[in-house]
Amino acid sequence: MKRPDLDPETVAWTLGGLAVAGAIVGAAVVFLGLYNVSAKVGHFPGVGSVLHTTFRNSVDLRAMSVDDVPELTDEMAALGAKHFDAACADCHSAPGRGRTATMRAMSPLPPHITQAVGHWNPAELHWIVREGVKMSGMPHWPADRDEEVWPVVAFLTRVQEGMDGAAYTEMTGMEKTAARDFAYCTSCHGERGATDNPHIPRLDILSRAYMTEALSAYRRGARDSGIMEHAATEVTPAALAEYAERFAGFAPEGGSVNGADGDLVARGRALSRAEDSTRVPACAACHGPWPDQLDEAFPSLAGQNQSYLGQQLTLWRDGQRGGGRVRELMHLAAEELTDADIEALAAYYASLAPATLNETAEAE
Amino acid sequence: MRRRTWQRRGASLLLPGLLAGCSGVQSILAPAGTDAAFLSNLFWVMLAGAVVLWFFMNGLMVYVWRVNVGHMSSRKAEALIIGGGIVFPTVVIGVLLSVALNAMPDMRAEGTGTRLKVTGEQWWWRVEYWPEGAEAPIVSANEIVLPANSRSEIGLTADKVIHSFWVPALGGKTDMFPGRETRMSLEPLKPGTYRGQCTEFCGESHAWMAFNTVVLPQDEYDAWLDAQAEPAAAPASESAERGQAVFLSEGCGACHAVRGTAAAGKVGPDLTHLGARTSLAAGTLPMTQDALVRWVRDAKAVKPGAEMPAYDHLTEDELSDLAAYLEGLT
Repeated sequence: MKRPDLDPETVAWTLGGLAVAGAIVGAAVVFLGLYNVSAKVGHFPGVGSVLHTTFRNSVDLRAMSVDDVPELTDEMAALGAKHFDAACADCHSAPGRGRTATMRAMSPLPPHITQAVGHWNPAELHWIVREGVKMSGMPHWPADRDEEVWPVVAFLTRVQEGMDGAAYTEMTGMEKTAARDFAYCTSCHGERGATDNPHIPRLDILSRAYMTEALSAYRRGARDSGIMEHAATEVTPAALAEYAERFAGFAPEGGSVNGADGDLVARGRALSRAEDSTRVPACAACHGPWPDQLDEAFPSLAGQNQSYLGQQLTLWRDGQRGGGRVRELMHLAAEELTDADIEALAAYYASLAPATLNETAEAE
Repeated sequence: MRRRTWQRRGASLLLPGLLAGCSGVQSILAPAGTDAAFLSNLFWVMLAGAVVLWFFMNGLMVYVWRVNVGHMSSRKAEALIIGGGIVFPTVVIGVLLSVALNAMPDMRAEGTGTRLKVTGEQWWWRVEYWPEGAEAPIVSANEIVLPANSRSEIGLTADKVIHSFWVPALGGKTDMFPGRETRMSLEPLKPGTYRGQCTEFCGESHAWMAFNTVVLPQDEYDAWLDAQAEPAAAPASESAERGQAVFLSEGCGACHAVRGTAAAGKVGPDLTHLGARTSLAAGTLPMTQDALVRWVRDAKAVKPGAEMPAYDHLTEDELSDLAAYLEGLT
């Protein structure tokens, strides 16, 4: 068996051709935008683990010797904790706290600090905090001062030792820097749970039971909303129930809307009663106006913002609306709605005087 | 030998099953109405004729192949082929056809008594009674009540897909089409309860789409219809009262009507006199409290694809109160 001779000229042309083809493909990726930078899509399979291995080995190679680590005192850890709370907790959360929906949507996903500290030794932690990590969003230390990094490392070693939420709060001296207060809710939903902004639903008409369930669904990711999932994960579950109660305590104000499109409202009213409809169930049987006492698990719609109602009904109809324990009822109820039905129903319920579920009444 | 035993055992297992199909509430061989009786007679006559023909044809083959081999003149053979192959079947089929055609106008005769409209839904039956001169129907579901010895007119249609209406003990079957009305009439003769079944494949729970037909003497029927026109009975026990509150607060009225209450939904079956019916969920379950609880808690577990949502968020107490209320709607 004799190997075929390799003609140097053919080899050169082949290599040259491949190089040109590669350059064209590379240029297309860069200049035509062929590479998808979406954080949602993520990396190709395997790329993530290659990058992570590279990161670990790079840190191993470059970190100083453990022998050069100074003594990490409690005073240093106390300072480090305060700085961590101000600068780092926005992405890594903190001991005893959860991560917001937005943190969980980052790519690469910043690990919760209790996981991020891993088994790194103090020298390696120092290197990571000082240098940052390219292409991961992890910033480097903003100043060129090595010794300033040690307090943070001191804090991180305490996290490795299993610091809990209470110890963290005590150390930072900041009770609820991450958990937001009621003013956070009212900044969008209004001082008394009502707002003129058509994109923001009014809450004064809703019951405590319904809002607690809705907030818990947002928190669990069972109801889809980038805005409300973030908001609900910034607040503790206990506080969510408290805020729901406060909003439910406001008496709805305002009268029925005059000057609304009369025909549209009349059509919505007929639909809400399912008068002669074998297609759409009667909305009023759960949402009022209804002569008997209704289950507070159902939301009141009376006087709710029209565009919000239309948007939510469309989400229900299209099967994209999550919610609490009775959501299947609404999925089935909305299944057969047309765009015109949705428009009419939103106009009708928006035209009613704002009221809680069992106070909902027809316009005078 | 072994094989023979197996065959005998197989036959002895199979036979009772086959024979059971000949009697009972859903059999064309146990007719209880004029049309079914005619169809059943037609079946027996045709079966007898087919048996005679079978022996005759086999006898003829034996005669030609074994008894009279090669001794037939071409004249005789032609006469046999033309006589037995063309003339005889034409006469037999012609007679059967004329008997059937003759009977058809009677079977399609317009009903003179009760007028009903039945709509095939997914997977249940919407039933409307239109008494003489009525402006609005008396609405019911999943059960049909007919007077004996009177021809009832039945209008048939369907909601989304094709269904077919058949009560074997009372008459033939008629298809039901969305957007189109077909009709039939039935003249039951014997009071009793007869089972009907959807006989056109209509989706997941086609096999669970049945109903009972209750035939009553005319005077009992009239009294029954008067009672049907009445609003629902008030709850008779504390449990039923609590059940009514559950019914009216949990949104059941969005799809179901209980006349006399605010519940006026038309998407699902009318429940005004639910407890008086002989079956639940279109012939699927018996009308008992246990069955009602099971059905309300998770209808799809009983009947795949049913549009009734699961009310598994209700407590056991709420469910049994609700069942007590529904069973009391007689």
